[in-house]
Amino acid sequence: MPEVSWRNRYRTPKPNSTIQREPVGTDGCQPMETQNRIMDRYARQIRFSEIGPEGQERLLTTRVTLIGAGALGTHIAGTLVRAGIGFLRIIDRDVPDLSNLQRQILFDEADVEAQIPKAIAAAQRLSAANSSVTIEPHVLDVNAANIERLVEDVDIVVDGTDNFEIRYLINDACVKLDKPWVYGGVIGSYGMTMTIIPGETACLRCVFPEPPPPGDAPTCDTAGVIGPAVAAVTAYQSAEIIKLALGATGLLNRALLSIDVWQLTFDRVPLGGPVPDCRCCNRHEFDYLERGGRTQTTELCGRDAVQVLIHPPARITLSSLAERLKAAGTVGYNQYLLRFHTEGYEFTVFPDGRAIIKGTTDPGEARSLYARYIGM
Amino acid sequence: MIYLDNAATSWPKPLAVYEELGSFLQHAGANPGRAGHQMAARAAWTVSETRRKLARLLGVDDPRRIIFTANATDALNLAIKGSLSAGDHVVTTVMEHNSVRRPLRALERIGVMTTAVPANAEGIVQPDSIRSAMRRNTKLVVVTHASNVNGAIQPIAEIAEIAHARGAFLLVDGAQAIGSIPADMKALDADLLAFPGHKGLMGPPGTGGLALGGRIDTTMLHPIREGGTGGNSEEDVQPSEPPDRYEAGTVNTVGIAALGAAVDFILHNGVEAIEAHERALTTHLIEGLRAIDGVRVLAPEEPDQRVAVVSLIVDGWEPADFGAALDEAFGIACRTGLHCAPGACRALGAGGQGTIRMSPGFFTTVEEIDQAIEAVRDLANASLTVVREA
Repeated sequence: MPEVSWRNRYRTPKPNSTIQREPVGTDGCQPMETQNRIMDRYARQIRFSEIGPEGQERLLTTRVTLIGAGALGTHIAGTLVRAGIGFLRIIDRDVPDLSNLQRQILFDEADVEAQIPKAIAAAQRLSAANSSVTIEPHVLDVNAANIERLVEDVDIVVDGTDNFEIRYLINDACVKLDKPWVYGGVIGSYGMTMTIIPGETACLRCVFPEPPPPGDAPTCDTAGVIGPAVAAVTAYQSAEIIKLALGATGLLNRALLSIDVWQLTFDRVPLGGPVPDCRCCNRHEFDYLERGGRTQTTELCGRDAVQVLIHPPARITLSSLAERLKAAGTVGYNQYLLRFHTEGYEFTVFPDGRAIIKGTTDPGEARSLYARYIGM
Repeated sequence: MIYLDNAATSWPKPLAVYEELGSFLQHAGANPGRAGHQMAARAAWTVSETRRKLARLLGVDDPRRIIFTANATDALNLAIKGSLSAGDHVVTTVMEHNSVRRPLRALERIGVMTTAVPANAEGIVQPDSIRSAMRRNTKLVVVTHASNVNGAIQPIAEIAEIAHARGAFLLVDGAQAIGSIPADMKALDADLLAFPGHKGLMGPPGTGGLALGGRIDTTMLHPIREGGTGGNSEEDVQPSEPPDRYEAGTVNTVGIAALGAAVDFILHNGVEAIEAHERALTTHLIEGLRAIDGVRVLAPEEPDQRVAVVSLIVDGWEPADFGAALDEAFGIACRTGLHCAPGACRALGAGGQGTIRMSPGFFTTVEEIDQAIEAVRDLANASLTVVREA
């Protein structure tokens, strides 16, 4: 753990003010020459008066956990590592495929060919860009059992996921452990972000007490997404992380910010402080950490398949879901179920939101597929 | 909801079972046999009463030869692991549940060999195939009384004769039979009978037992766990007498008390009446399902060769999807897949995805069976509207 707690850090009025901090390298490990080279690397951002040498030094000691190394995650990781964040933990369960390359900027065709896990490929690419940053890749599912371990020793958490189930889990863990986190989401040409400082700003559940019902909204896999939208949202997310690292809390985004790069719209819905009766940040009922959220998975014997059950049951209109899914694969439905084939998987989706996903026996993969195609 | 998953666990239970669960814990929740006070005595008395009722139901002369276990799996593990040692041979069948198959497989490591004999297309094992599988060192024959996949009843008494003629013991897995069809230890001539308390016996989960026949010497059947039994505390070895020999630790008094209430219910109604009701429902279900195009029912032809467990396969449907649709759209609870018995599914020609299994119980009504048949018909006839990109 860093010696300065979060609270102390972000309440510091200005990064380059009078607070006394030891310069980098005084632990005796780095000769002056190396230290100069380090500072040369960041010369342009140090010249930016809001950062300065003191701010840079803070960046170099800031630890961040990034959950999800897809479109959002690769953009954010690239910016943070190049900016000289001290430590970046990258978590992603997946391997890249060809359709990722259009917007996931840390992977290339060789990674797709070799099926290098995204977290590993990202770490390799980023180490080449800045070998002085400690990068810790994890190829795993983030879930209620492991999230606290993955965020407890960092200063900031950033959302690079594509599903609300995990975002609500991040919110629970970050509120419980008092870590600021930055939410981001993109679809089509549109995206949104908000910054959450537990106890000081509204948390995700203050703003959206419940996640959107499964199967209710389009996903990137059904409605598409363009690179510029990802770049726009992650630019704001990354800037927020840098501000948090510096303690420049006065300029943080205290709104639900939404951007559409195609329609050229930019909205800010100002957010107040924590909602008095919020289940999460006021009552500390961490539903997603303690009860595992809304989904329950069961491996089905006799078939390479996992059933995903939704609690409480959803109400999915199969004809609408079929319309959304038709661009991504072959779809058929009747009054009882919808059947959808894509990338070697077969989904059987029922009106109450449950789905049997064939082609996997891994509950984490099944959840991820559910999030990508049905939406959660 | 229409509950057709009684082969997994029976539901609902007789009202007396629910009542006993609450009242026993409240009024007699002490540790049986561990103290002399009145409530401990009452708990001990209740446990022995259930033991006595089960002995009566199973035709066991000495109630102490009914051993309480956590479930049938636990009883099978005790019978298998407690009786076999290196160099022993076991004859079993392809129709067995994983609760038999897996302990036997685990014992291969210490040098126990197993032969699994085939079954016919109805899931019934021919006694001759048991006979030809017997070896000089065959110590145990393990056979399920009735299949948990298609309800096929095995010729237990004939198999018992073969086993005994070769000096082997017969262990019967009574999971799908006890409480549903007559299962008298003497009539079956079984040496060990493992049974759950929560299926046909209509008791609560967490109960079960192993009945020891007259040929079983307790020096030959080793406990698989040792510990406190309430008596002989000065000894550091497990007592030699049943049931204490096999019941180390505090037993599930609450469950056993409620199981006693369930056995009362069965004795009051009579196993024959339960059997008749379930058989009528099963025949009605099988006939209704067979009349639907595209539905294949995997059941023995003869009504008296099957218990109330019916497996079906529907053209164009994977069992898991079909089961989910029955639940989601019709509120019908059944089980799909391999039912922890992949060998039985193979023997019945079910394919790797298993079957849809409907298992009525004593509380199931004819109207519910009719609704289930109609639901299967609706789903079997449902076609998909294919959506294409414009």
